[in-house]
Amino acid sequence: MNLDILTPDKKLFEGEAESVTVPGSTGLMQILKGHAALISSLNKGVVKVKTSTGEEIFDIKGGVVEVLNNKVIVLAE
Amino acid sequence: MQITSAMKMVSAAKLKKATDAITQMRPYAEKLQEILSNVSSSTKDIEGGVFSKVRPVKKVLIIAITSNRGLCGGFNANVLKGVLSIIKNDYAELNAQGNVEILAIGKKSTDYFKTRGKIAKTNTEIYAELNFNNAAEIAQDVMNDFSEGKYDEVRLVYNQFKNAATQIVQNEKFLPITATKNSDGNASNNDYIFDPNKEEIIINLIPKSLKTQFYKAMLDSQAGEHGARMTAMHKATDNAKAMARDLTLQYNKARQAAITNEILEIVGGAEALNN
Repeated sequence: MNLDILTPDKKLFEGEAESVTVPGSTGLMQILKGHAALISSLNKGVVKVKTSTGEEIFDIKGGVVEVLNNKVIVLAE
Repeated sequence: MQITSAMKMVSAAKLKKATDAITQMRPYAEKLQEILSNVSSSTKDIEGGVFSKVRPVKKVLIIAITSNRGLCGGFNANVLKGVLSIIKNDYAELNAQGNVEILAIGKKSTDYFKTRGKIAKTNTEIYAELNFNNAAEIAQDVMNDFSEGKYDEVRLVYNQFKNAATQIVQNEKFLPITATKNSDGNASNNDYIFDPNKEEIIINLIPKSLKTQFYKAMLDSQAGEHGARMTAMHKATDNAKAMARDLTLQYNKARQAAITNEILEIVGGAEALNN
């Protein structure tokens, strides 16, 4: 699935990912390929991205995530 | 001439950086707006929380965004003029009661309104490092003041960057927010799962969108400043060149006249001796 992580200052991540774990406001949430359409607000925490080559971790202060047709967009602060 | 053309080069480099920053934040801002309208289009009568409360306007805050430095043509003067005309046209009565306050961003508006208006707060340090967090802090302060009822309306006046030669003075209502109705219905066709629920997401998103709006204004103003300075310095360089040309011509003429005079005198003297 395609993943974008955006902040107002820059793009943190762009490309293919196997899974992404985000700190949803109701608890940690892992998004895999084929996830249903979703909009959720995010709490302070870490975003973990698993790609075919490894794992990347980003600290965020909050934000929102949108999943639609295998495209995940994380707007982080 | 050396100085102005050097300043022009510096501004051109800074302008590049500033426009890059705008390009960087644009996808974020657009996506945020899209999600916000996605969420609010599928809910009726969404309450934007405390930030959309319209109260009778008794006290107004005007945010005037200018630069710290001058030498950029009419860039700052235009904003200051814009603020004065808003005060005169929209809030004359409130101003007479002393209920119009200014949040001055940048040294130029700070200096100007120190003697002419009521300054609530100033901020000149933000330009040292303009990033989202710094801008968000200022926006958060304003939002807090609004939600506590200190101000009933907040206006934002700044230069919007169009291109290097053109800046447009914008006058936006920052708070309270006016509900944006989503006109295209295609967004609501997707059955989103909302977590935790629409209302909370909206309440969560609105402050973000306000901060983004403010940050965008700051970035626009910054890019506009460098663009304006570049243009002003370009003109100054041209003027200096033209002046240098005129002066060189004048100098050469004067020198030639002096030489001709001298030759005449020598020839005249020689003639006199011969006789």
